Amino acid sequence: MRRILEHPILKRRSTRTVKFYFEGKELEALEGETVAAALIANGIDVFGETERGRPKGFFCAIGKCSSCLMIVDGEPNVRVCITPVKEGMKVQRQFGRSDVSW
Amino acid sequence: MVRTQLLVVGGGPAGLCGAIEASRRGVETLIADEGVELGGQLVKQTHKFFGHEGFFASVRGFEIAKRLKDQLNEHVKIMLQTTVVGIYEDVVVLYDRQSDATFEVQADYILLATGASERFIQFENNDLPGVYGAGAVQTLMNQFMVLPGKRFLMVGSGNIGLIVSYQLLQAGAEVAAIVEIADKVGGYDVHLRKVKRFGVPILLRHTIEKALGKERVTGAVVVQVDENFQPIEGTEKEFAVDAICIATGLVPSVELAAMANVKIEYVPELGGFVPYRDQNMRTNVENIFIAGDLSGIEEATTAMIEGRIAGLTIAQSITKMDLSKEIESLQNELVEFRAGPFSEKVRKGLSKFFPQRLVEYSREPQTDTGPIGKLRPIIECYENIPCNPCQTSCPTGAIEVPKNINSLPRIDYEKCTGCGICVSKCPGLAIFMVQENVEQGFDLVVVPYEMLPLPEKGERVVALSRDGKQLCEAQVVKVVRFPHMTNLVHLKVPSGFATQVRNFRVKKRENVFVCKCEEVTLEEIEKAIDLGFTDYEELRRYLRIGMGMCGGRTCRASVLSILSRRLGKSPEELLKGHFRPPIMPTKFESILRGESNEV
Repeated sequence: MRRILEHPILKRRSTRTVKFYFEGKELEALEGETVAAALIANGIDVFGETERGRPKGFFCAIGKCSSCLMIVDGEPNVRVCITPVKEGMKVQRQFGRSDVSW
Repeated sequence: MVRTQLLVVGGGPAGLCGAIEASRRGVETLIADEGVELGGQLVKQTHKFFGHEGFFASVRGFEIAKRLKDQLNEHVKIMLQTTVVGIYEDVVVLYDRQSDATFEVQADYILLATGASERFIQFENNDLPGVYGAGAVQTLMNQFMVLPGKRFLMVGSGNIGLIVSYQLLQAGAEVAAIVEIADKVGGYDVHLRKVKRFGVPILLRHTIEKALGKERVTGAVVVQVDENFQPIEGTEKEFAVDAICIATGLVPSVELAAMANVKIEYVPELGGFVPYRDQNMRTNVENIFIAGDLSGIEEATTAMIEGRIAGLTIAQSITKMDLSKEIESLQNELVEFRAGPFSEKVRKGLSKFFPQRLVEYSREPQTDTGPIGKLRPIIECYENIPCNPCQTSCPTGAIEVPKNINSLPRIDYEKCTGCGICVSKCPGLAIFMVQENVEQGFDLVVVPYEMLPLPEKGERVVALSRDGKQLCEAQVVKVVRFPHMTNLVHLKVPSGFATQVRNFRVKKRENVFVCKCEEVTLEEIEKAIDLGFTDYEELRRYLRIGMGMCGGRTCRASVLSILSRRLGKSPEELLKGHFRPPIMPTKFESILRGESNEV
């Protein structure tokens, strides 16, 4: 478990949980956190694969670098580091640029 | 189409302050921010800010974000999860992620406060999951309380590298090392000392060569570099880490400014390509202003001041109020904040846009360490950083930061009452207290402490030096808790150690058993001794040590040596206990059988 339960400065903001799905598997997240934070908390570091087939994680956490693009509720290229997790959300790994329809 | 007098792009310290000043003068303001909450990078800053009271000195960053948000009034509209995607001559186009739709805004004025992004550096496998920007780890651990690893390598020793390392320790992680390619640490000395006294190794003239791992980071190879920053073969060191933090700097996010025809200039001292602006934060485009890291990588405090200047200048243009006095006073604040040696680069960079003013400050450190035997603060603040909460928090006026906030503090030990408020207020955790001969053979050291667990009164801890080296055993004699979480721990140390002890380590004592038969731990025995059970027989009756199946063979010697250590007595002076039969448990049944055999 990677959640910080005790901290010398910070208080936990929310303990209300929501359920979401990662690759079809049900996972628990805390209300108000981003999809990226929820995945990392659940021990998932690989968010997808690049075009060259290399594992992809995330890098900046503030929506700037686009390393964290995933498929959320069928929509590819969602920056999960600035997307709040929602009850029932379906999150999938993205491979390369995915099937984008412009 | 939405109409607004002012569009603020980015709700961090600069954007919020611009919105506060403009909206206070009645300017209709719209703030667009990409994130899930306002505050920008303030929301993940858990350390106390430097500076002075007017700009939240000694207040933690995330608290500052709350206070700024509270200052927004009814003239401000906020759009979160909204990215400004384009600035055109007539309209600005925004994308709202929640409704998944773009919309247009017409604004009379635009304040760009888009901040900066992490500077990415090149090494083998730098794309591996587990390689993070230092700011990303800060977001995860301080905003969402998720720790993406157990053991980290920090690349870069600027203030961000040092602060994030310290915050990793606070979150319960380990920092394997901080590597710095230059031959000296980039950040403030007080930040460096905070991590050094926890024993974090600092490797100068080193850089990361590659990240190890297949699916995610499992290690890192670090290498020494020569004076041209080239790796020296054969100096590679491998670290077993599960995360790597890159803290090698920030790059201003100039994209929107550039497309709005703002002149972009290359000023390496400000972080690379930055937009042109004047002293009022106005760019070469009449109605476009910038503030914060976009205008040059600096501190959040200067970002807040720049934001205020921009907001006031915009309000002045719109309302025709005369705000020149307010603006001038904030410009003077900036001059003061940038007067010190750490701002030399920024001053040099900014001098390309407008002349820089200098103010004088005192560089003289205090040499007097005060009267021996009096409980008094020792200020270990040797760099001219703009900061003065020690002065403003002192209830007796004993501490002075002369001339302006860049000077080194001076203390008048005659006036000091030893209250300890400065120790807990200092944002750099650079003030300690000492008192020699507080008891025969012992000195007292008071250290500011922001870690868990907080020790208890009476607890024995390991006293550490400024470099995190183990010095001696210390006893916690008092713990003073402060609401802002910098607590003071009073340590009794052997005489002579007061000048050396600056930190401590709580002894890990879970499941340390002395008596296995009766499951008695070291901690229970030490507590009992402190309660007054001072010989073996008393301890036996109180805790059942030695009353188990082994009859004390396993624990007796240990208990006697614990007693000896704790009481400062030689083993000869201690009662070693009584010895009675049976020396091994013998069944009554066997005894009865034996007796009947005799008959």
